[in-house]
Amino acid sequence: MAILVDTKTRVLIQGITGAEGSRACREMLGYGTKVVAGVTPGKGGQKVEGVPVYNTVAEALAKHKEINTSLIVTPAGAVKDAALEAMAHGIPLINILAEHDSPLDTSMIVAMAKKHETRVVGPSSVGIMSPTIGKLGSIGSGETKNIFTKGHIGVVSKSGGLTGEIAVILSRAGIGQSTAVGIGGDTIEGSDFVDILELFEKDKETWATVLFGEVGGTSEERVAEYVAAKKIKKPIVAVIGGEFTTHLPQGVVLGHAGAIVSHGKGGYASKIRTMKKAGIIIAKTLEEVPDILRKIVTKKL
Amino acid sequence: MKLLEHEGKALFTKHGIPTPAGVLRTSENSGLPDAKSFVVKAQVHMGNRKKAGGILFAKNAAGAEGALKKLLGKEILNEPVKEVLVEEELKGVEEYYAAFTYDTETRGPVLLLNKDGGTGIEKAKVFPINVMEGLPGFKIREHLVATKFPSSDILPVAGIIAKLWKLFTEEQTILAEINPLIKTKDGKFVAADSKIDLGKRRLVEAMGGDIAILASGGGASLLNIDALLAAGGKPANYTEYSGNPPAHVVTNLTKQVLSQEGLKGCWVVGGTANFTDIFETIRGFVEGLREVKPKPTYPIVIRRDGPRQKEAFEFLRNVGAEEGYDFHLFGSETPMVGTAAIMVELAYKHGNSR
Repeated sequence: MAILVDTKTRVLIQGITGAEGSRACREMLGYGTKVVAGVTPGKGGQKVEGVPVYNTVAEALAKHKEINTSLIVTPAGAVKDAALEAMAHGIPLINILAEHDSPLDTSMIVAMAKKHETRVVGPSSVGIMSPTIGKLGSIGSGETKNIFTKGHIGVVSKSGGLTGEIAVILSRAGIGQSTAVGIGGDTIEGSDFVDILELFEKDKETWATVLFGEVGGTSEERVAEYVAAKKIKKPIVAVIGGEFTTHLPQGVVLGHAGAIVSHGKGGYASKIRTMKKAGIIIAKTLEEVPDILRKIVTKKL
Repeated sequence: MKLLEHEGKALFTKHGIPTPAGVLRTSENSGLPDAKSFVVKAQVHMGNRKKAGGILFAKNAAGAEGALKKLLGKEILNEPVKEVLVEEELKGVEEYYAAFTYDTETRGPVLLLNKDGGTGIEKAKVFPINVMEGLPGFKIREHLVATKFPSSDILPVAGIIAKLWKLFTEEQTILAEINPLIKTKDGKFVAADSKIDLGKRRLVEAMGGDIAILASGGGASLLNIDALLAAGGKPANYTEYSGNPPAHVVTNLTKQVLSQEGLKGCWVVGGTANFTDIFETIRGFVEGLREVKPKPTYPIVIRRDGPRQKEAFEFLRNVGAEEGYDFHLFGSETPMVGTAAIMVELAYKHGNSR
C-alpha cells in the first residue's frame, strides 16, 4: 500500500486543456495513472491525450462514477471555484498543482474542505507519487523511473524541487519510497506536515519519513508537538532550510511565500530546537539522510 | 515584501483610514506639513528603526529640517535612507493596536487587537476569522469588547477595523497593521504608523557578498545559501526562480544579478527539476551572460538536472569553448550543496591568482 495515490485512484483533471494541465495528463498516463476525465468550462467535447473533456465536474461524474481524485491545474484566479466545484460533488481528494492562489482563497478552500471532509493537498503542490503505482501532478516529470523507486520511506516536502532531489538521493542509495508528497510552501496549505505524517503513521508499508521544511510558518513546530505527544511514532529525519535568514532584516521574504513568523515561532532556531527536543533527527544535508535512515530503521531498507 | 511606511499609508488613504498630515521628503524636494511640532521618520524596512535612531522629534520647523539632515542619505541598520516622512506630531490620549494577518495554525485570517498600542504583534489578542462568514461589524465589536476597549471608542474603532479588513483582503496582503492607532484629544482616530506585507518576494535581495547566485526552487535555494555560507562563501544576492520560467525571465535575472561589481564567481544551482525545462533556463542564462559588461571571466559553477539537461550541458560546453567562459558543469551525480564548496574554492583561488 501507499498513501493518497493507490491502485484504486481514478483521476479527474480540472484545467486539463491548459499547457500545464495537458502535460500533467500526458505524464500521468505515461506513468500508468488512470486519468479518466478532464474539465475545462467551454471545452466540453474535446479530448486531451485521448481523455474526454467536460464542461462541468457534474457532467464528468455522471459519465465516470469511479472518479475519486481531482487534480487542479487551472489559472490562479479559478482555483477556489474549481476546488469548491469538486467538493460540492463529493470528490474526496483534491491535489492543487496551481500556484499563486491568494491566501484568502486558500483559507476558504480549507474551511470548505473541513465541512465536506475533503482532503486537499496544495496549492503549489508539485504532486503526489507512489512509485510504480501512480502519480498526481508534475512530480518527477517524465523521468520518474530514474528518480523514484518503490520502498518503505515516506517523503513529505514543502519544496517541489527537493521532493525529487530527496527521492534521487534515496534511490541511488538503494532506499525506495512508499509515497512522496509535495505539500507546497504557501502561507496557507490544505495539508500540512502533520496531516501527511498521520497518513504515513497508519500505512503499513511506510517505516520512516524524510521531511523537508523551511523557515516561516509553524507547521514544523506542530510536527514536534505531535511527536512529543507520541501521536506520531515512526521515525522522522528532517532537513530544514533557511538558517541564513537569522541574519537578515525582518520582513524579507525568501524561498516560498509561507514565511510568517508568528507567536515567537517560525524562525530557524525555533524549528530546530523544538524538533530536536521531540526526538526528530535533523540532517544538515540531504546527502547524509540515507545513512541516518539505515541507522534508525531496524528493518532492512 | 514589506512596504515602506509611506507606501502603506497611501493604501490607508485609498481605503479611507485617516493618517497624520505629512510630507515625503527626498533629496530633491522641500516643504513641511502644517503643524506645530513634527515627527521625522526614516523610510526603511527594518522593524526596529526607532531604537536605531530612525525616528526623531522636532519642536519647530527648524528642528524638523535639522532632523531631516541627520537622516536623509544616511544608513539606518545598514539600509540607506532615501526618503524621510515628516508628519505632524500627534499627542494621543489613547494608543491602540489593530492588525490582520494569517495564522498557519488555524489556516485562515486572524484579527489581532490590543488596547495598549505600541506593544507589537506578540502581545495582541488573536481572533480567528471565519472566512465563510466574513467579518460582519458585530463580530468586530464583540472582539473589541473582549479586548476591553472603552465603550465610547468601540464604534469608531470598529469602523476603522472594517476598512482595514477591506484593505487586507482586497490588496491581497498577508499583514496589515496599524500600530499605534491614536485617539487624539478631540476624539479623532488616526493611524500613526503602517506595516503592510504583500507576502511576495522581491526579485533580487542584495546580500553584500561576492558570489552571484541564480538559484532554482524555493526550498533548494534556502539550502544552497546555507551551504555556501557554511563553506565560507559570501553570497552577493538572493534570487530564485521557480516553476518553468521562459528564457527571457532568466535572461533578465542574470543581467540584474551579474551587474554587481567585484564578483568573484557565479553559481547557477538547483535540485533535480520536476518540470523545469533546463535547456530553456540555461539558454536564458547564456543570453543574459552575453550582455554583461565587462565580460565575466570569473568561474561559473552550474549544477542542474532535470528535463533536457543533456542538451543544455552540450550547449554550455560549446558556448564555453567558443566564447571563453569558465564553466564548471555538474548534474545530479554531484550533491547540490557539495557544489557550494567547489564554487568557494574556485572563486577565491581564482581571485587570488590575479
